[in-house]
Amino acid sequence: MENIRVMIVDDSTFSIAVLKRMLQKDGLEIVGTALNMKEAIQKAQELKPDLITMDMTLPDGDGIECSKEILKHLHDTKIIAISAMMDKEIIQRSRKAGIRGYLQKPVDQIDLDSAIERLFEGEELYGVLKNNFEEAFKESIFSFLKREIGGEVAVEKIADHAMTTNSSGISVAIGIIGRHDGRLIMDMSEATALGMTKKILQDDTQQIDDAINFLSEFTNVIGGNACSLLNGLNRSFGLRVSPPTVFRGKDITISIGDIMSESFIIKTDLGNVFMNVGFQKGDVEWI
Amino acid sequence: MDIEIINPFIASVTDVLPQLGFESINLIEQKEKTKKIAASGIVLTLGIVGDKKGNVAYAIDTEGAKQIASIMMMGMPVDELDDMAKSAISELSNMLTANAAINFSNDNITVDISPPTMLTGENIELSMSRDQVTCVEFDIDGIKLEINVALD
Repeated sequence: MENIRVMIVDDSTFSIAVLKRMLQKDGLEIVGTALNMKEAIQKAQELKPDLITMDMTLPDGDGIECSKEILKHLHDTKIIAISAMMDKEIIQRSRKAGIRGYLQKPVDQIDLDSAIERLFEGEELYGVLKNNFEEAFKESIFSFLKREIGGEVAVEKIADHAMTTNSSGISVAIGIIGRHDGRLIMDMSEATALGMTKKILQDDTQQIDDAINFLSEFTNVIGGNACSLLNGLNRSFGLRVSPPTVFRGKDITISIGDIMSESFIIKTDLGNVFMNVGFQKGDVEWI
Repeated sequence: MDIEIINPFIASVTDVLPQLGFESINLIEQKEKTKKIAASGIVLTLGIVGDKKGNVAYAIDTEGAKQIASIMMMGMPVDELDDMAKSAISELSNMLTANAAINFSNDNITVDISPPTMLTGENIELSMSRDQVTCVEFDIDGIKLEINVALD
Protein backbone atom coordinates (compact mmCIF):
# COMPACT_ATOMS: atom_id res chain seq x y z
CA MET A 1 0.00 0.00 0.00
CA GLU A 2 2.67 2.45 -0.97
CA ASN A 3 2.19 5.79 -2.67
CA ILE A 4 -1.31 6.25 -1.28
CA ARG A 5 -1.75 9.88 -0.20
CA VAL A 6 -4.13 10.33 2.71
CA MET A 7 -5.90 13.22 4.36
CA ILE A 8 -7.46 12.82 7.81
CA VAL A 9 -10.59 14.79 8.71
CA ASP A 10 -11.50 14.70 12.40
CA ASP A 11 -12.53 17.30 14.96
CA SER A 12 -10.37 15.67 17.61
CA THR A 13 -6.63 16.19 17.52
CA PHE A 14 -6.30 13.01 19.57
CA SER A 15 -8.14 10.96 16.94
CA ILE A 16 -6.01 12.52 14.23
CA ALA A 17 -2.86 11.49 16.08
CA VAL A 18 -4.10 7.91 16.49
CA LEU A 19 -5.15 7.55 12.85
CA LYS A 20 -1.94 9.16 11.66
CA ARG A 21 0.13 6.58 13.52
CA MET A 22 -1.93 3.68 12.18
CA LEU A 23 -1.85 4.89 8.60
CA GLN A 24 1.87 5.62 8.72
CA LYS A 25 2.44 2.08 9.99
CA ASP A 26 0.88 0.91 6.70
CA GLY A 27 3.32 3.04 4.76
CA LEU A 28 0.71 5.55 3.64
CA GLU A 29 1.70 9.16 3.21
CA ILE A 30 -0.29 11.63 5.34
CA VAL A 31 -0.53 14.73 3.16
CA GLY A 32 -2.88 16.76 5.34
CA THR A 33 -5.28 16.91 8.26
CA ALA A 34 -8.40 19.01 8.81
CA LEU A 35 -10.38 19.75 11.97
CA ASN A 36 -13.57 21.01 10.36
CA MET A 37 -15.64 20.90 7.18
CA LYS A 38 -14.47 24.19 5.73
CA GLU A 39 -10.82 23.30 6.15
CA ALA A 40 -11.45 19.78 4.80
CA ILE A 41 -13.09 21.00 1.58
CA GLN A 42 -10.40 23.56 0.94
CA LYS A 43 -7.46 21.25 1.69
CA ALA A 44 -8.96 18.36 -0.29
CA GLN A 45 -9.07 20.53 -3.40
CA GLU A 46 -5.48 21.66 -2.91
CA LEU A 47 -3.99 18.30 -2.00
CA LYS A 48 -6.13 15.93 -4.11
CA PRO A 49 -5.50 12.97 -1.79
CA ASP A 50 -6.12 9.36 -2.90
CA LEU A 51 -7.88 8.60 0.37
CA ILE A 52 -9.71 10.63 2.99
CA THR A 53 -10.71 9.33 6.40
CA MET A 54 -13.83 11.23 7.41
CA ASP A 55 -15.25 11.80 10.86
CA MET A 56 -19.04 12.05 10.89
CA THR A 57 -19.37 14.86 13.44
CA LEU A 58 -17.63 18.09 12.56
CA PRO A 59 -18.11 21.44 14.29
CA ASP A 60 -19.43 23.19 11.17
CA GLY A 61 -21.32 20.35 9.45
CA ASP A 62 -21.39 16.60 9.16
CA GLY A 63 -19.13 14.12 7.44
CA ILE A 64 -21.73 13.22 4.81
CA GLU A 65 -22.27 16.79 3.72
CA CYS A 66 -18.51 17.35 3.73
CA SER A 67 -17.86 14.19 1.64
CA LYS A 68 -20.52 15.15 -0.91
CA GLU A 69 -18.89 18.55 -1.35
CA ILE A 70 -15.41 17.05 -1.73
CA LEU A 71 -16.53 14.36 -4.20
CA LYS A 72 -18.18 16.97 -6.40
CA HIS A 73 -14.71 18.12 -7.40
CA LEU A 74 -12.55 15.05 -6.78
CA HIS A 75 -13.92 12.03 -8.61
CA ASP A 76 -10.93 9.77 -7.96
CA THR A 77 -10.64 10.36 -4.24
CA LYS A 78 -11.93 7.56 -2.01
CA ILE A 79 -13.50 8.39 1.31
CA ILE A 80 -13.84 6.06 4.29
CA ALA A 81 -16.01 7.19 7.18
CA ILE A 82 -14.45 6.66 10.60
CA SER A 83 -16.77 7.60 13.39
CA ALA A 84 -17.86 6.63 16.86
CA MET A 85 -21.42 6.79 15.65
CA MET A 86 -22.60 3.91 13.49
CA ASP A 87 -26.14 2.79 12.69
CA LYS A 88 -28.00 1.48 9.67
CA GLU A 89 -29.34 4.85 8.61
CA ILE A 90 -26.04 6.70 8.69
CA ILE A 91 -24.35 3.86 6.80
CA GLN A 92 -27.01 4.06 4.11
CA ARG A 93 -26.71 7.83 3.86
CA SER A 94 -22.93 7.56 3.66
CA ARG A 95 -23.12 5.05 0.88
CA LYS A 96 -25.51 7.24 -1.05
CA ALA A 97 -23.14 10.18 -0.66
CA GLY A 98 -20.35 8.23 -2.33
CA ILE A 99 -18.45 7.24 0.81
CA ARG A 100 -16.84 3.87 0.19
CA GLY A 101 -16.74 2.27 3.62
CA TYR A 102 -17.58 2.77 7.25
CA LEU A 103 -15.44 1.94 10.27
CA GLN A 104 -16.41 2.49 13.87
CA LYS A 105 -14.13 4.14 16.43
CA PRO A 106 -12.05 2.95 18.15
CA VAL A 107 -10.63 1.60 14.89
CA ASP A 108 -8.73 -1.62 14.90
CA GLN A 109 -5.50 -1.60 12.91
CA ILE A 110 -6.40 -4.84 11.13
CA ASP A 111 -9.84 -3.56 10.08
CA LEU A 112 -8.33 -0.35 8.79
CA ASP A 113 -5.64 -2.21 6.86
CA SER A 114 -8.07 -4.58 5.20
CA ALA A 115 -10.47 -1.78 4.30
CA ILE A 116 -7.73 0.21 2.58
CA GLU A 117 -6.34 -2.88 0.92
CA ARG A 118 -9.71 -3.80 -0.56
CA LEU A 119 -10.34 -0.27 -1.69
CA PHE A 120 -7.05 0.03 -3.53
CA GLU A 121 -6.28 -3.50 -4.73
CA GLY A 122 -8.62 -2.95 -7.67
CA GLU A 123 -6.33 -0.27 -9.07
CA GLU A 124 -3.26 -2.47 -8.87
CA LEU A 125 -5.10 -5.49 -10.23
CA TYR A 126 -6.36 -3.51 -13.18
CA GLY A 127 -2.78 -2.48 -13.91
CA VAL A 128 -1.67 -6.12 -13.87
CA LEU A 129 -4.56 -7.07 -16.14
CA LYS A 130 -3.81 -4.23 -18.56
CA ASN A 131 -0.18 -5.29 -18.80
CA ASN A 132 -0.91 -8.97 -19.34
CA PHE A 133 -4.19 -9.58 -21.15
CA GLU A 134 -2.80 -9.02 -24.65
CA GLU A 135 -0.10 -11.65 -24.24
CA ALA A 136 -2.53 -14.11 -22.67
CA PHE A 137 -5.00 -13.90 -25.56
CA LYS A 138 -2.29 -13.85 -28.22
CA GLU A 139 -0.67 -16.90 -26.68
CA SER A 140 -4.01 -18.65 -26.36
CA ILE A 141 -5.09 -18.14 -29.98
CA PHE A 142 -1.64 -18.78 -31.41
CA SER A 143 -1.20 -22.12 -29.69
CA PHE A 144 -4.72 -23.24 -30.57
CA LEU A 145 -4.36 -22.46 -34.27
CA LYS A 146 -0.82 -23.79 -34.47
CA ARG A 147 -1.91 -27.06 -32.86
CA GLU A 148 -5.26 -27.52 -34.61
CA ILE A 149 -4.74 -25.92 -38.02
CA GLY A 150 -0.97 -25.90 -38.36
CA GLY A 151 0.93 -24.13 -41.12
CA GLU A 152 1.82 -20.47 -40.84
CA VAL A 153 0.15 -18.62 -37.97
CA ALA A 154 0.99 -14.96 -37.38
CA VAL A 155 -0.67 -12.78 -34.76
CA GLU A 156 -0.48 -9.08 -35.62
CA LYS A 157 -1.72 -6.29 -33.42
CA ILE A 158 -3.77 -3.54 -35.08
CA ALA A 159 -2.14 -0.35 -33.82
CA ASP A 160 -5.11 2.02 -33.73
CA HIS A 161 -8.41 0.33 -34.26
CA ALA A 162 -11.49 2.35 -35.11
CA MET A 163 -14.65 2.53 -32.98
CA THR A 164 -16.29 -0.09 -35.17
CA THR A 165 -15.24 -2.94 -37.41
CA ASN A 166 -17.05 -4.74 -40.21
CA SER A 167 -17.73 -8.41 -39.82
CA SER A 168 -16.27 -10.76 -42.40
CA GLY A 169 -19.28 -13.04 -42.07
CA ILE A 170 -19.43 -14.75 -38.69
CA SER A 171 -18.83 -13.05 -35.35
CA VAL A 172 -18.77 -14.56 -31.90
CA ALA A 173 -19.00 -12.60 -28.66
CA ILE A 174 -18.35 -13.93 -25.21
CA GLY A 175 -18.54 -12.00 -21.99
CA ILE A 176 -15.76 -12.15 -19.43
CA ILE A 177 -16.83 -11.68 -15.85
CA GLY A 178 -14.66 -11.21 -12.79
CA ARG A 179 -13.04 -8.56 -10.62
CA HIS A 180 -12.77 -6.56 -13.85
CA ASP A 181 -15.21 -7.45 -16.61
CA GLY A 182 -14.51 -7.69 -20.30
CA ARG A 183 -15.40 -9.22 -23.60
CA LEU A 184 -13.90 -11.20 -26.42
CA ILE A 185 -15.01 -10.90 -30.05
CA MET A 186 -13.84 -13.25 -32.76
CA ASP A 187 -14.66 -12.72 -36.41
CA MET A 188 -13.90 -14.56 -39.64
CA SER A 189 -15.42 -15.29 -43.03
CA GLU A 190 -17.73 -18.25 -43.56
CA ALA A 191 -15.12 -19.76 -45.86
CA THR A 192 -12.40 -19.54 -43.21
CA ALA A 193 -14.66 -20.97 -40.51
CA LEU A 194 -15.75 -23.78 -42.81
CA GLY A 195 -12.16 -24.46 -43.90
CA MET A 196 -10.99 -24.68 -40.28
CA THR A 197 -13.87 -26.95 -39.31
CA LYS A 198 -13.15 -29.32 -42.20
CA LYS A 199 -9.46 -29.36 -41.38
CA ILE A 200 -9.91 -30.00 -37.65
CA LEU A 201 -12.56 -32.68 -38.12
CA GLN A 202 -10.86 -34.09 -41.24
CA ASP A 203 -14.27 -34.14 -42.88
CA ASP A 204 -15.10 -32.36 -46.13
CA THR A 205 -18.85 -32.71 -45.73
CA GLN A 206 -19.05 -30.12 -42.92
CA GLN A 207 -21.75 -27.47 -43.39
CA ILE A 208 -22.09 -23.88 -42.25
CA ASP A 209 -23.99 -24.88 -39.09
CA ASP A 210 -21.05 -27.08 -38.12
CA ALA A 211 -18.77 -24.12 -38.75
CA ILE A 212 -20.90 -21.96 -36.45
CA ASN A 213 -20.60 -24.60 -33.75
CA PHE A 214 -16.86 -24.77 -34.32
CA LEU A 215 -16.41 -21.01 -34.09
CA SER A 216 -18.48 -20.87 -30.97
CA GLU A 217 -16.37 -23.56 -29.30
CA PHE A 218 -13.15 -22.03 -30.69
CA THR A 219 -13.95 -18.67 -29.05
CA ASN A 220 -14.90 -20.41 -25.83
CA VAL A 221 -11.56 -22.26 -25.72
CA ILE A 222 -9.47 -19.17 -26.56
CA GLY A 223 -11.30 -17.11 -23.96
CA GLY A 224 -11.25 -19.84 -21.33
CA ASN A 225 -7.54 -20.59 -21.77
CA ALA A 226 -6.53 -16.93 -21.74
CA CYS A 227 -8.61 -16.25 -18.62
CA SER A 228 -7.03 -19.25 -16.88
CA LEU A 229 -3.59 -17.84 -17.70
CA LEU A 230 -4.62 -14.49 -16.21
CA ASN A 231 -6.22 -16.06 -13.14
CA GLY A 232 -2.90 -17.86 -12.65
CA LEU A 233 -1.17 -14.50 -12.36
CA ASN A 234 -3.53 -13.36 -9.65
CA ARG A 235 -6.41 -15.36 -8.29
CA SER A 236 -8.28 -12.21 -7.32
CA PHE A 237 -9.12 -11.68 -11.01
CA GLY A 238 -11.64 -14.55 -10.75
CA LEU A 239 -12.27 -14.35 -14.52
CA ARG A 240 -14.98 -16.57 -15.97
CA VAL A 241 -16.34 -16.67 -19.51
CA SER A 242 -20.01 -16.63 -20.43
CA PRO A 243 -21.34 -18.86 -23.22
CA PRO A 244 -20.88 -17.50 -26.76
CA THR A 245 -23.42 -15.73 -28.95
CA VAL A 246 -22.82 -16.15 -32.67
CA PHE A 247 -23.83 -13.57 -35.29
CA ARG A 248 -23.97 -14.27 -38.97
CA GLY A 249 -24.80 -11.82 -41.73
CA LYS A 250 -23.62 -10.04 -44.83
CA ASP A 251 -23.28 -6.51 -43.56
CA ILE A 252 -22.72 -6.47 -39.81
CA THR A 253 -20.87 -3.73 -37.98
CA ILE A 254 -19.40 -4.50 -34.56
CA SER A 255 -18.80 -1.75 -32.00
CA ILE A 256 -15.46 -2.21 -30.29
CA GLY A 257 -14.56 1.27 -29.15
CA ASP A 258 -16.71 1.44 -26.04
CA ILE A 259 -14.23 -0.21 -23.68
CA MET A 260 -10.44 -0.31 -23.46
CA SER A 261 -9.64 -3.05 -25.97
CA GLU A 262 -7.02 -4.31 -28.40
CA SER A 263 -7.55 -5.81 -31.83
CA PHE A 264 -5.51 -8.42 -33.63
CA ILE A 265 -5.41 -10.00 -37.07
CA ILE A 266 -4.35 -13.62 -37.02
CA LYS A 267 -3.11 -14.77 -40.40
CA THR A 268 -3.47 -18.46 -41.16
CA ASP A 269 -3.24 -20.57 -44.30
CA LEU A 270 -7.04 -20.85 -44.25
CA GLY A 271 -7.72 -17.12 -44.00
CA ASN A 272 -7.62 -14.32 -41.48
CA VAL A 273 -9.17 -14.23 -38.04
CA PHE A 274 -10.03 -10.95 -36.32
CA MET A 275 -9.85 -10.87 -32.54
CA ASN A 276 -10.82 -8.02 -30.24
CA VAL A 277 -10.49 -8.28 -26.48
CA GLY A 278 -11.00 -5.66 -23.84
CA PHE A 279 -11.66 -5.04 -20.18
CA GLN A 280 -13.28 -2.31 -18.18
CA LYS A 281 -12.29 -1.27 -14.73
CA GLY A 282 -14.63 -2.61 -12.10
CA ASP A 283 -14.90 -0.86 -8.80
CA VAL A 284 -15.71 -2.13 -5.34
CA GLU A 285 -18.53 0.17 -4.41
CA TRP A 286 -18.66 -0.62 -0.74
CA ILE A 287 -16.06 -2.32 1.38
CA MET B 1 -42.15 -20.88 -21.01
CA ASP B 2 -39.58 -20.60 -18.28
CA ILE B 3 -41.16 -17.99 -16.03
CA GLU B 4 -38.32 -18.06 -13.53
CA ILE B 5 -35.90 -16.99 -16.25
CA ILE B 6 -37.92 -14.38 -18.09
CA ASN B 7 -39.72 -12.62 -15.24
CA PRO B 8 -36.64 -10.83 -13.89
CA PHE B 9 -36.16 -9.29 -17.36
CA ILE B 10 -39.81 -8.30 -17.69
CA ALA B 11 -39.71 -6.67 -14.25
CA SER B 12 -36.53 -4.90 -15.20
CA VAL B 13 -38.08 -3.33 -18.31
CA THR B 14 -41.17 -2.18 -16.43
CA ASP B 15 -39.05 -0.76 -13.56
CA VAL B 16 -36.21 0.88 -15.46
CA LEU B 17 -37.83 2.40 -18.54
CA PRO B 18 -40.30 4.71 -16.74
CA GLN B 19 -37.33 6.11 -14.80
CA LEU B 20 -35.72 7.04 -18.10
CA GLY B 21 -38.75 8.95 -19.29
CA PHE B 22 -40.73 6.32 -21.22
CA GLU B 23 -44.46 6.39 -20.65
CA SER B 24 -46.30 3.44 -22.06
CA ILE B 25 -44.70 0.04 -21.65
CA ASN B 26 -46.67 -2.93 -22.94
CA LEU B 27 -45.71 -6.55 -23.08
CA ILE B 28 -46.86 -7.65 -26.54
CA GLU B 29 -45.74 -11.20 -26.86
CA GLN B 30 -43.96 -13.94 -25.00
CA LYS B 31 -42.74 -16.98 -26.88
CA GLU B 32 -40.19 -19.74 -27.10
CA LYS B 33 -37.81 -19.68 -30.03
CA THR B 34 -35.27 -22.12 -31.29
CA LYS B 35 -31.59 -21.37 -31.18
CA LYS B 36 -31.46 -19.24 -34.33
CA ILE B 37 -32.98 -15.78 -34.21
CA ALA B 38 -33.27 -13.19 -36.97
CA ALA B 39 -32.82 -9.51 -36.18
CA SER B 40 -32.30 -6.23 -38.00
CA GLY B 41 -31.10 -2.93 -36.63
CA ILE B 42 -29.17 -3.06 -33.38
CA VAL B 43 -28.41 -6.19 -31.40
CA LEU B 44 -26.78 -6.08 -27.99
CA THR B 45 -25.64 -9.18 -26.21
CA LEU B 46 -24.41 -9.61 -22.66
CA GLY B 47 -22.96 -12.69 -21.03
CA ILE B 48 -24.30 -14.02 -17.76
CA VAL B 49 -22.50 -16.34 -15.33
CA GLY B 50 -23.24 -17.53 -11.81
CA ASP B 51 -26.06 -19.74 -10.58
CA LYS B 52 -27.39 -19.47 -14.12
CA LYS B 53 -25.23 -19.29 -17.20
CA GLY B 54 -25.98 -18.04 -20.68
CA ASN B 55 -26.65 -14.82 -22.48
CA VAL B 56 -29.25 -12.23 -23.29
CA ALA B 57 -29.67 -10.43 -26.61
CA TYR B 58 -31.66 -7.21 -27.04
CA ALA B 59 -32.88 -6.33 -30.53
CA ILE B 60 -34.20 -2.93 -31.58
CA ASP B 61 -34.68 -1.64 -35.13
CA THR B 62 -32.63 1.39 -36.15
CA GLU B 63 -35.49 3.90 -36.00
CA GLY B 64 -36.53 2.64 -32.58
CA ALA B 65 -32.94 2.82 -31.36
CA LYS B 66 -32.71 6.46 -32.46
CA GLN B 67 -35.90 7.30 -30.58
CA ILE B 68 -34.71 5.52 -27.45
CA ALA B 69 -31.33 7.28 -27.61
CA SER B 70 -33.10 10.62 -28.04
CA ILE B 71 -35.30 10.09 -24.97
CA MET B 72 -32.32 8.88 -22.95
CA MET B 73 -30.38 12.00 -23.96
CA MET B 74 -33.10 14.29 -22.59
CA GLY B 75 -34.88 14.73 -25.88
CA MET B 76 -31.84 15.66 -27.94
CA PRO B 77 -32.66 14.99 -31.60
CA VAL B 78 -30.90 11.86 -32.90
CA ASP B 79 -30.76 11.75 -36.70
CA GLU B 80 -28.22 9.01 -36.99
CA LEU B 81 -26.85 6.39 -34.66
CA ASP B 82 -23.56 8.07 -33.86
CA ASP B 83 -21.21 7.01 -31.07
CA MET B 84 -23.13 9.00 -28.49
CA ALA B 85 -26.46 7.42 -29.44
CA LYS B 86 -24.90 3.95 -29.53
CA SER B 87 -23.41 4.52 -26.13
CA ALA B 88 -26.86 5.43 -24.78
CA ILE B 89 -28.36 2.20 -26.16
CA SER B 90 -25.42 0.22 -24.85
CA GLU B 91 -25.96 1.75 -21.41
CA LEU B 92 -29.65 0.85 -21.58
CA SER B 93 -28.82 -2.83 -22.19
CA ASN B 94 -26.42 -2.69 -19.28
CA MET B 95 -29.02 -1.12 -16.97
CA LEU B 96 -31.73 -3.59 -17.97
CA THR B 97 -29.49 -6.61 -17.47
CA ALA B 98 -28.00 -5.34 -14.20
CA ASN B 99 -31.52 -4.75 -12.94
CA ALA B 100 -32.58 -8.23 -14.02
CA ALA B 101 -29.56 -9.57 -12.08
CA ILE B 102 -30.82 -7.79 -8.97
CA ASN B 103 -34.28 -9.30 -9.56
CA PHE B 104 -32.67 -12.74 -9.82
CA SER B 105 -30.90 -12.18 -6.52
CA ASN B 106 -34.29 -11.54 -4.89
CA ASP B 107 -35.12 -15.12 -5.91
CA ASN B 108 -31.80 -16.23 -4.36
CA ILE B 109 -30.20 -16.71 -7.77
CA THR B 110 -26.84 -14.98 -7.98
CA VAL B 111 -25.62 -13.96 -11.43
CA ASP B 112 -22.97 -11.58 -12.75
CA ILE B 113 -23.08 -9.89 -16.12
CA SER B 114 -20.48 -8.89 -18.71
CA PRO B 115 -20.22 -5.61 -20.63
CA PRO B 116 -22.46 -5.50 -23.72
CA THR B 117 -21.32 -6.26 -27.27
CA MET B 118 -23.15 -4.20 -29.89
CA LEU B 119 -23.70 -5.14 -33.50
CA THR B 120 -25.60 -3.34 -36.21
CA GLY B 121 -26.80 -4.62 -39.55
CA GLU B 122 -29.68 -6.03 -41.53
CA ASN B 123 -30.78 -9.67 -41.42
CA ILE B 124 -28.48 -10.71 -38.63
CA GLU B 125 -28.75 -14.38 -37.78
CA LEU B 126 -28.16 -14.92 -34.10
CA SER B 127 -27.26 -18.22 -32.46
CA MET B 128 -27.65 -18.15 -28.71
CA SER B 129 -25.93 -20.56 -26.33
CA ARG B 130 -28.96 -22.75 -25.80
CA ASP B 131 -31.44 -24.44 -28.17
CA GLN B 132 -34.42 -23.07 -26.32
CA VAL B 133 -34.56 -19.27 -26.20
CA THR B 134 -37.23 -17.39 -24.29
CA CYS B 135 -38.29 -14.23 -26.06
CA VAL B 136 -40.39 -11.28 -24.94
CA GLU B 137 -41.46 -8.41 -27.10
CA PHE B 138 -42.35 -5.00 -25.70
CA ASP B 139 -44.02 -1.98 -27.21
CA ILE B 140 -42.44 1.05 -25.55
CA ASP B 141 -44.04 4.29 -26.65
CA GLY B 142 -44.46 2.71 -30.09
CA ILE B 143 -40.92 1.30 -30.19
CA LYS B 144 -40.44 -2.44 -30.50
CA LEU B 145 -37.93 -3.96 -28.08
CA GLU B 146 -37.21 -7.66 -28.22
CA ILE B 147 -35.40 -9.51 -25.45
CA ASN B 148 -34.05 -13.00 -26.07
CA VAL B 149 -32.87 -14.92 -23.06
CA ALA B 150 -30.89 -18.17 -23.16
CA LEU B 151 -30.07 -19.29 -19.63
CA ASP B 152 -29.29 -22.68 -18.14
